[in-house]
Amino acid sequence: MRLLIIEDEKRLAENIAQALREAGFAVDYAADGITGSHMAVQDIFDAIILDLMLPGKSGKRVLTELRQTKSRTPVLVLTALEGKETIVDLLNSGADDYLAKPFDLGELLARVKALIRRAKGVSSTIIQVADMEIDTVRQTVKRRGQEIDLSPMEYRILQYLSYRPRAIVSKQELLEHLYDFEWEHHSNVIEAHISNLRRKLNLQGTEPLIETLRHRGYRLSEEASS
Amino acid sequence: MNQGSSITRRLITAVLLLEGLAAVLLIVAVIVNEHQDEYSAFDANLRASANAFLGAVQEAEDSSPNIGLDVRRIPRTPHAVYRVTDGEGHVLGAEGPVPDLTIEPDSFRRVKINGHSYRFFALDGERVVDPGTPSAVIHQVHILYGQPDGRVWHEIWEATRFFMLATAILLGVTAVLLVWMIRRLLSPIHVLASEADKVNSVHWSFTAPEVAMHLAELRPLASAIERTVNRLQSSFEQQKRFTRDAAHELKTDLAIVKSSLQLLTMKERSVEEYGKGLGIALEDFTRLEETVQQMLTLARLEQPADAVSPTCALHQVLQDNVTQSASFASLNKVTLMASPVAAVSVPVDARDAALLCSNLIVNALQHSPDHGAVEIALRSDGPTATLTIRDHGEGIAEEDRPHLFEPFYRGDPSRSRKSGGTGLGLSICKAICDRAGGSIEIGNHRAGGAIVTVTLPVSRAGRTG
Repeated sequence: MRLLIIEDEKRLAENIAQALREAGFAVDYAADGITGSHMAVQDIFDAIILDLMLPGKSGKRVLTELRQTKSRTPVLVLTALEGKETIVDLLNSGADDYLAKPFDLGELLARVKALIRRAKGVSSTIIQVADMEIDTVRQTVKRRGQEIDLSPMEYRILQYLSYRPRAIVSKQELLEHLYDFEWEHHSNVIEAHISNLRRKLNLQGTEPLIETLRHRGYRLSEEASS
Repeated sequence: MNQGSSITRRLITAVLLLEGLAAVLLIVAVIVNEHQDEYSAFDANLRASANAFLGAVQEAEDSSPNIGLDVRRIPRTPHAVYRVTDGEGHVLGAEGPVPDLTIEPDSFRRVKINGHSYRFFALDGERVVDPGTPSAVIHQVHILYGQPDGRVWHEIWEATRFFMLATAILLGVTAVLLVWMIRRLLSPIHVLASEADKVNSVHWSFTAPEVAMHLAELRPLASAIERTVNRLQSSFEQQKRFTRDAAHELKTDLAIVKSSLQLLTMKERSVEEYGKGLGIALEDFTRLEETVQQMLTLARLEQPADAVSPTCALHQVLQDNVTQSASFASLNKVTLMASPVAAVSVPVDARDAALLCSNLIVNALQHSPDHGAVEIALRSDGPTATLTIRDHGEGIAEEDRPHLFEPFYRGDPSRSRKSGGTGLGLSICKAICDRAGGSIEIGNHRAGGAIVTVTLPVSRAGRTG
């Protein structure tokens, strides 16, 4: 999952970004409203963390403009402003959730995860695909009750695919949603991870879970149970 | 509201008192006038009656050698008393209890008889027997005639009663009209008050009602309320903005400190990672401490000044600051030049002067490009000292100029926290200058870069010219 933080306080943004990266997210950062707005409309982010008082363009304007582009990316607003009106105003402007500063990093992570889950149409923290079970809180994967040890990137690819079962996910989409701008993109990195993932998920007597569709991408099959 | 302090009441009471006093004086004047008229008539009647008695003596049949009194043709007045005597004191005729009175002839006197008030007239006359003959005899006649004058007072009362009643009714009717009129005339005050009453911390708009602005007496009050409300609104908005910005700043700083520490606790880390993380958290905490310290300094500077006015040698404070900033300047590869520096004393506390110099120098250094220069000059022209600090940075954006001294103002992001400031430095500088009766301005130099000009009055002891 790839997140965008729009926050002018560099230190705060650094802390949030590090926490999110440690939780397995790819994170991009914008220090002002104009850059943030420009990045947000690209629709490559799975969630946006938005500060309200920003130089260049206010957070509320960034949000309003984003919603005008019909973007459905969930937005969590960080605010130091008090008052019920502000919160109502924010939610009416298209915000999905908010956190008042000073906030708890753990709570921020939980809320971001919940926002992404809801946006992907999943309500539970445990995703079930065929005979596989993904625990998004503990970040563990089990197939037929057997725990499978995955690298962080392999887990992230699998989680991304599991949010869109039966859909063909292109390599480009995976690259966009799993790596931030700071990462050096190599197109074959995804292939290598997918190959490893497929190998690790292939237990004896089971059907392959991940299909490769030549030149089109990858698909997580729900009919894999034997 | 205290009823006794009502203007309406006072006006009504004052007008009614004046009206009442005028009515009383008028009634007294009427009574006095009526009294004079009635008594003139009464006295004329007494005189006529006395003359009638004289005539009755003169026309009576002689009973020589004595004279007599023939009262048959004299009309009888009820309760009238009289006594007619001749020159030898013989009583020619009398009626009623006439006291022994010594009254000057042709004059009046009031006497009490049996508890009743009587008015007497004394008349001296002559009865000449055989006038025009050598044997003519002249007899002296003294007449004392009196009548009860209670009737006169009755007449006076009768004559003035209607007048007094009419006056009382008029007084009552005008009192009612007065209450109605005064209330109506003073209604603009109530309108003004109710309009002023609508002003509160949420609803600040106040427009003086037309009805109040039409009255010459109320116009200054209405305008004063309007100006006061506007001043209060501006001050209130300023306070609100400051509180909101301060809260935002503190919450952001707290969020940074909290997230830095929480980040460390999110998973097991190495000793090096903990050490580094704690170091960063301590830096974040220092920033929070600085914000709080600067807010407290600003609050102190905005308090009224002490009675004892401080003084400091600005040139020394400036030189000290230039020396202290040298290492920071060389770190940023910026040259600090301080010349000319005139010896001058200003009415500023030495610590505040140091804060002023340090804030401005650090600000200039932060906005200087690499290998740039900061030019500092302190000049004195007798009553004022002028400190100028110029950098060769990006200068001030025109839209930021009106807001530069507002607490926590952040215009261009490059002038925000990233350059190390809390957004309070310039507000503190302005508060220091204002407190000393000076001024501070920031503009762009013709040749580029920003230039700060501080003008301060020179302390009397420090004046050199």
